[in-house]
Amino acid sequence: MTDNGNVLTVRNLKTHFFSREGTLKAIDGVDFELKPGEVLGIAGESGCGKSVTAQSILRILPKHGRTVDGEVLLSRNGAAVDLLTLDEEGPEIRRIRGKEIAMIFQEPMTSFSPVHTIGNQIIESIRLHNRGLSKREARARAIDMLHRVGMPNPASTIDEYPFNLSGGMRQRAMIAMALSCGPRVLIADEPTTAVDVTIQAQVLELLKELQGQLGMAVIMITHDLGVIAELADRVLIMYLGKGVEFGTVEQIFHNPLHPYTRGLLASIPKLTRGREVIEPIQGTVPSPYDPLTGCPFNPRCAHRMAGVCDLEMPEVVEVEEGHRVACHLYPKDAQT
Amino acid sequence: MGEFIVRRLLLMIPTLIIVSSIAFFVIQAPPGDFVSAHAARLEERGQDVDRAVLEAMRARYGLDQPIHVQYFRWVRNMLRGDLGVSFDWNAPVTAVIARRIPNSILISLVSFLYVYIVAIPIGMLSAVRQYSLADYFFTFVAFIGLGIPNFLFALVVLWLVFSATGSVMIGLFSTEYVDAAWSWSRLLDMARHIWIPALIVGTEGTAKIVRVMRANLLDELQKPYVMVARAKGLPQARVNYKYPFRIAVNPVVSTIGWTLPSLVTGEMLVSLVLGLPTLAPVFFRSLQMQDMYLAGGIVFVLTFLTLIGTLVSDILLGWIDPRIRFSSM
Repeated sequence: MTDNGNVLTVRNLKTHFFSREGTLKAIDGVDFELKPGEVLGIAGESGCGKSVTAQSILRILPKHGRTVDGEVLLSRNGAAVDLLTLDEEGPEIRRIRGKEIAMIFQEPMTSFSPVHTIGNQIIESIRLHNRGLSKREARARAIDMLHRVGMPNPASTIDEYPFNLSGGMRQRAMIAMALSCGPRVLIADEPTTAVDVTIQAQVLELLKELQGQLGMAVIMITHDLGVIAELADRVLIMYLGKGVEFGTVEQIFHNPLHPYTRGLLASIPKLTRGREVIEPIQGTVPSPYDPLTGCPFNPRCAHRMAGVCDLEMPEVVEVEEGHRVACHLYPKDAQT
Repeated sequence: MGEFIVRRLLLMIPTLIIVSSIAFFVIQAPPGDFVSAHAARLEERGQDVDRAVLEAMRARYGLDQPIHVQYFRWVRNMLRGDLGVSFDWNAPVTAVIARRIPNSILISLVSFLYVYIVAIPIGMLSAVRQYSLADYFFTFVAFIGLGIPNFLFALVVLWLVFSATGSVMIGLFSTEYVDAAWSWSRLLDMARHIWIPALIVGTEGTAKIVRVMRANLLDELQKPYVMVARAKGLPQARVNYKYPFRIAVNPVVSTIGWTLPSLVTGEMLVSLVLGLPTLAPVFFRSLQMQDMYLAGGIVFVLTFLTLIGTLVSDILLGWIDPRIRFSSM
């Protein structure tokens, strides 16, 4: 297997949750590729499977979740290894977690153990992936990392417990922990959702800066298209567990193809055009437990074609170079 | 931490004052006193009772004084380490208690260790393997343990041991060691006997703590920090051991506060059933005989020990949980 110059390639990823209530198809077909050093934004409403996508890549799904299909190819020295074929608890995937693919989580408060200092938790990660390092060296590296993420007084803050830090500082500590082993891929799962608006801008600025310095590829998961516009090179739009549109940030923002993407963009208030009516997307997200035939967006879609959209799942079509969409408005045979 | 301990010790003083007064008045509440109970017993046996002698007895023990005077005299003497005289034993209360209390403490301590050493691992196993066969098994056993009253359990265990070995496992020692001086073989003999009361006393607490531990750990296992630890690349066993196990134990440590008193009362009931040479039979008899200084003294000493136990559990909790250490100490 070759990697086609991508650091990470996700193909037809399907992760389902099995419970007494039934099978929840949290992700039901997600495809994207990530080039070294680029920022991929994954956007969509709450519950569309963004976080589960991240957890599926690292194979750290909660108890009842299982990835049932697909490929997650991580390039290593020109060859690609499919993470889904590795033993979930085995040493190989554990060497990848934290070391090659690191993750920043949504809730900086609950993402740290309340009874261990942040230093303890960062040093643990460093020592785990750098066996030769002494305790003192690992501590020095943790302090250096905290310094790089702009933590005030890192040499003393390192011994603080999470509850003694502000939300913004905790998120900085989280970023320092994720970056402490120099990952090639950083997955940021809504890193700004749980912090104040003023801190959000700081955290994004910091991530942008560190990404520039360290050159890692970033998957930025967010429901905020503003964050995508600010940071991302490419964008994946998800709806109800499916990737519905994928393209460069210009393609998505200037030439959105999927009615859902257009709806998302139309629902952002703009300051430039004075008072305007925000156009919400009609209806609500259907329950993922109810099997829906056809396109998942069809009950809410303004362009719904009866007899087509509610019966058949649209195929993914590459409409222009690097711009893919799954919608019956763009039939496969129309191009060529 | 030092300041916290001193503050807690000072807070024990008003608690003890309140407990001592409540204990004293409750024990005084039944009609009559030791002298009238004594007279009634004499009359039952058909002996003549001389009123003048009874009055002299009352005067000697101070029972003719108003109740609040008696109380203050009792407290004043207590400050000097004198808990009064047991009418029934005709000996200082402190001596009666001192002879029996090591056995009581020992049984409570052994059942205490049994509760936590057994309950914590089982609770952990039940949570990590939720809805497994082992989980259902231990849940079933725990509910049985919660449901069976101590005294009934004691009788059942006695019967089981008797039918299996033919020996009656009553008491804390084999006959040859009852009055022997302390030695290794006496200690071993006691170890052979003490597991029965400890098992009986501790079972209810164990069942409770298993449930508490299981519920805590199920909560903690879902916390984001567990996923974060996995995302670092830690092996699952180390993730569990360092984070959710460690954090789920904190509330369990705080249960020591309410487990201790229930172990003490449990020990009382079981000692009565098994006829153990602990404080329990003495306490029971002192209440029947209206031997008020002895009964009051026992209540006071038990309360004091419980308070000490709670203090130790609080110190332990502060030591293992920085959130408590930094906020309230």
